[in-house]
Amino acid sequence: MLEKIVALSRKASPWVAHFNSGGCNACDIEVMATITPRFDVERLGIQLKGSPRHADILICTGPVTGQIRERLLRIYHQMPQPKYVVAVGSCALSGGVFHGCYNVMGGVDQVIPVDVYVPGCPPRPDAIIAGIAKVLDKMQEDALSKDGREREVDHGC
Amino acid sequence: MDFLADLFKLLVFPGFLFVVNFGLFLEWVDRKIYARMQHRVGPPWYQPWLDTIKLFTKEDVIPEKANPFMFTFLPVLDLAAAVTAFLYLPFGGFSSVNPFPGDLVVVVFFLTLSTLLLFLIGWYSGSPFGRVGSLRAVTQFLAYEVPLVLSLLTPALLAGSWSISTIKIVMAQNLSRFLPVTLLALAVSLLSLQGKLLRVPFDAPEAETEIVAGPLTEYTGRRLAFIRLAERAELVVGAGLISNLFLPFDKVLGMLGFFVSCVVVVFGLSVLRASFARLRIEDTTLISWKYLIPFSALGMALAIMVRG
Ligand code: SF4
Repeated sequence: MLEKIVALSRKASPWVAHFNSGGCNACDIEVMATITPRFDVERLGIQLKGSPRHADILICTGPVTGQIRERLLRIYHQMPQPKYVVAVGSCALSGGVFHGCYNVMGGVDQVIPVDVYVPGCPPRPDAIIAGIAKVLDKMQEDALSKDGREREVDHGC
Repeated sequence: MDFLADLFKLLVFPGFLFVVNFGLFLEWVDRKIYARMQHRVGPPWYQPWLDTIKLFTKEDVIPEKANPFMFTFLPVLDLAAAVTAFLYLPFGGFSSVNPFPGDLVVVVFFLTLSTLLLFLIGWYSGSPFGRVGSLRAVTQFLAYEVPLVLSLLTPALLAGSWSISTIKIVMAQNLSRFLPVTLLALAVSLLSLQGKLLRVPFDAPEAETEIVAGPLTEYTGRRLAFIRLAERAELVVGAGLISNLFLPFDKVLGMLGFFVSCVVVVFGLSVLRASFARLRIEDTTLISWKYLIPFSALGMALAIMVRG
């Protein structure tokens, strides 16, 4: 019973933080468009939070450049468990148009574990919402499964 | 038995459980009105409860630079201060837990205490954003405490008493004679309550586009939940205080009247929140010293004249 309520609360109250690790900004504009009143993501309980400490889901856009790698890792470690990552845009999937640049490490999954990939250059807001909704189901399943999902516990970040 | 009855009062009604749940309900009212003003559907009614449960089950992180004792202790103290303030409010036909002449000052004191605790919460979190947020919170606190207290003391002056229940009786008897002064004081107190609770447009201390989340930046999990609950409880106390002094519907409708008048107050605050964008910190203090404080002083002067 208690587990069910916890799982439901995880699913119904995802707070997202948004991080651009080196994209062209178009994906970020689409992410911003997603949280405008027109799409009303608060129906799903989604709220955009400034601090990664408050967030459950990290929305990552853009390829990971050599310089931003450390910051991305740090922000990821600052989030409390259980945490999930959504990669938004072709760049975040594979490096996209920046693939093979001397300073680009590739997609976000080269640096941190990614749960859901949303393709598109840039993806539309409805695609981003669909991606987040996929993560929500995953969150609920993980909360219900016995071993749960404590990938690693990081202290002192 | 006495002990058990006291414990019940502290923990269940009108203490902790009632205040927290009513606060979460008012949060839903606030978010729903905000959403409707933006032509959205808004969150379902159970959203605030689920948010809180989720926060309680998240990982608990203490940053290296934070002071661990203060980091743990302050959020709880913050919630305790806000809930204690509510114990001194009469509402819905019930008298307060411990009514005495001067309980108005005690309620205002506990409200002040929780703002000061917010300052300490940011200060001991060891984050530069937290410290900047704390300093802004104190700056704003100096500006908005004055008009809030002055406008809350206007009914006290009219009634010639500092006891909330006496003020309520006298105000109800002389409704039409006191009306102009009361309306002025009500307007000032609503605006300054908005400033005191750090809500848009006076949310420079928590400006998420400038300083991440202000004093709350480093808080995760249940500590964050405690601070959020304390904010909700402060909203309940603020709305309850205003409804006791200015909108005593509970004289006629009882418990329902108290809910209605609190929802009316929150409606006013939500409309403010939905119709303005954030002001910079110097503008918020300027608005207070230039407009709110003169008007609240005017209200007091009028109150002295009306009372004769
Ligand atoms: S996926 Fe396309 S739109 Fe998005 S950051 Fe990369 S290049 Fe820009």
